[in-house]
Amino acid sequence: MQEQFSRAEAGSAGTGAIVHEDLTVKWFMLSSISYFFIVGIIALVIAAKFVWPDLMGTTSWLTYGRMRPLHVNGMLFGWLLAADMGLTFYIVPRLCGVKLWSEKLGVATGILWNIIILGAVVSLLAGRNKGWEYAELETPLSVLVVVAWLMFTANILMTVAKRKYQAMYVSIWYFMGCLLWTAFVYLTGNFATMFTTGVNQANLNWMYVHNAVGLIFTPVGLGIAYYFIPRASNTPLFSHKLSMVGFWSLAFVYVWTGAHHMLHGPISQWLQTIAIAFSVMLLIPVWAVVYNLLITMKGQWHQLRDRVELKFLMSGVIFYLLTCFQGPMHSLRTVNAIVSKTDWIPGHAHMAVLGAFSFFAVAGTYYAAPRIFGKNLFSTALANWSYWMIMIGGLGFFVTLWLGGFWQGWQWNDVSIPFIKTVIALKPIWTVRFVSGVMIFAGIVMFAYNIMATALGPQSESAA
Amino acid sequence: MLKKADTSAIWAIVASLVLFFIGGLMTTVVPPMVDKSWGQPFANADKSKGPTGHLRRLNGLELAGRAVYVREGCWYCHTQQIRTLLADTKRYGWKGVDAPISTPDEFVYDSPHMFGTKRTGPDLARIGGRYDTQWHRTHFRNPRDLVKGSIMPAFPWLFTNKVDLTGYFAEADVIAQKAAATKDPALVEQAALAADLKAKLGPQAANLTEFDAMVAYLQTLGRAKDWREANDYEK
Repeated sequence: MQEQFSRAEAGSAGTGAIVHEDLTVKWFMLSSISYFFIVGIIALVIAAKFVWPDLMGTTSWLTYGRMRPLHVNGMLFGWLLAADMGLTFYIVPRLCGVKLWSEKLGVATGILWNIIILGAVVSLLAGRNKGWEYAELETPLSVLVVVAWLMFTANILMTVAKRKYQAMYVSIWYFMGCLLWTAFVYLTGNFATMFTTGVNQANLNWMYVHNAVGLIFTPVGLGIAYYFIPRASNTPLFSHKLSMVGFWSLAFVYVWTGAHHMLHGPISQWLQTIAIAFSVMLLIPVWAVVYNLLITMKGQWHQLRDRVELKFLMSGVIFYLLTCFQGPMHSLRTVNAIVSKTDWIPGHAHMAVLGAFSFFAVAGTYYAAPRIFGKNLFSTALANWSYWMIMIGGLGFFVTLWLGGFWQGWQWNDVSIPFIKTVIALKPIWTVRFVSGVMIFAGIVMFAYNIMATALGPQSESAA
Repeated sequence: MLKKADTSAIWAIVASLVLFFIGGLMTTVVPPMVDKSWGQPFANADKSKGPTGHLRRLNGLELAGRAVYVREGCWYCHTQQIRTLLADTKRYGWKGVDAPISTPDEFVYDSPHMFGTKRTGPDLARIGGRYDTQWHRTHFRNPRDLVKGSIMPAFPWLFTNKVDLTGYFAEADVIAQKAAATKDPALVEQAALAADLKAKLGPQAANLTEFDAMVAYLQTLGRAKDWREANDYEK
């Protein structure tokens, strides 16, 4: 196998080695961590508004209803998807043994992505909201998202087409799956919805919302985990066959489950039942993947002590297991009757997007940044601190909201309790959530600072 | 067969799209074809079949209110669905009458749909007719003046932002001409709604705020089904 290097470390490359430019990776990495920090501030503000409802309350663009969509879209598209795209640009050329098809196209994609996110900030705060969850962005911005996605897809697929190794590692399937499914899922949620109304529209909307997590963030996140866990631990993947089971069952099962967002609601009972059946079947792809990744680490767990990437990766795997156990359980009618619409759900959603997929993206960034910039990581101690802050803050956030949400659900089911009493009862929960949020944010600051300081720091000796 | 996808990118792409589209089509395109009630507006005159009434379209003022509801993100904290659970039918009922369960035919004209996912505040599916304008005025100025412990934001700018209906009424004139010519029931209904609104507002039409629009919209919610008395407000 040919040796591969990043341009920044090319000094130590022998002749005939592949040298990756990684300019696109840098664009996406640095912009994604900037948005992680900026949108983190928004997140703190809206968490604070639950505790102090009058905070910044009489300025229209600083109210909860304007800032919440900015938090959700900013974290999903500004931070997580951008970070995932950057890591895809890092991983795919290396797994294919060729340079990225076009760095120019990649950089253009990165610039366009920044334009979209900045446009989103302005338009969402101005109240220009299409009214569909996860699809709030105005139509011109959604069109730009599609354009950027096609540019991204073309670049990655062309790189795969030119690959030097014929066999494709599991990560490549997941990335290709993500590219294609995302295109259709996004078109459904942002454009097909325009031609429908009422329940029909809601059904398309939930198909998109559910699959934004299931067929966008899940496959790209798992592709990242499948690459970096063996890489960072220097251990081969446990089973190729098991990774096939996981991928192909995900491809078939996930898309059926959208209607579980409307259980007991005004949508056909038979469709609810189908959604429940397929939601339970999700245990198959999830457990296949999790088992594979956990057994890969057999005998290697001691490495977690020294490698912060592995700490994030393996905690992410555990959070993925937990969040995907909760999901099927929520879809059971009896459980749903208690937890649906309560604060349990943000607890669950944050474990998926922050606990599982952001952990994978943070791990990938910690692994890739020193290599693409040809520098040593600024501070391992700070990286470990960032892990523990996000981990403890995250657990505080998730667990508190589960407890509070469950309690809230029980109270709603006792109709003798007036609604406002169930709001007041949750105030201590929201205070703990805010404090946990402060810890998470502190971790984000440490992470972002560490990467920025690495990028701007002195050259490492090996690369000089 | 899937083994081939290990080495052939084309195979991997085709197989993953085929598997995706089976479920994708079965859950998005097929359901509205099977379940016609998703597209038929609610109408019932037979008391033995449950609440009577019919779903009407919204007039220009109500639509302006709905746009404010979307813009301010009310739907992030308030759902609009009475589920098939006692917790919903009893809690959102009125003077011992259970709130009717929400059905797809009550939402046929809704776009964007406002079903919502989270109840930080109470459900609003049957809020129409529950509180009068004065209550809403106080509540939107500062929710905590009326409901101690509420965490809803105040919305003072609703009282100063104007709503201009001249465009709506101009369009309604065109619709009225078309309705007279074609007798299309949808156009006839829209023309009648505009005429009613114009008569009801009178000179006040030039002096409307987003607050007026919002209240007009809220009073329509859940009233397609005739389940409670009109103008019987909570004190």
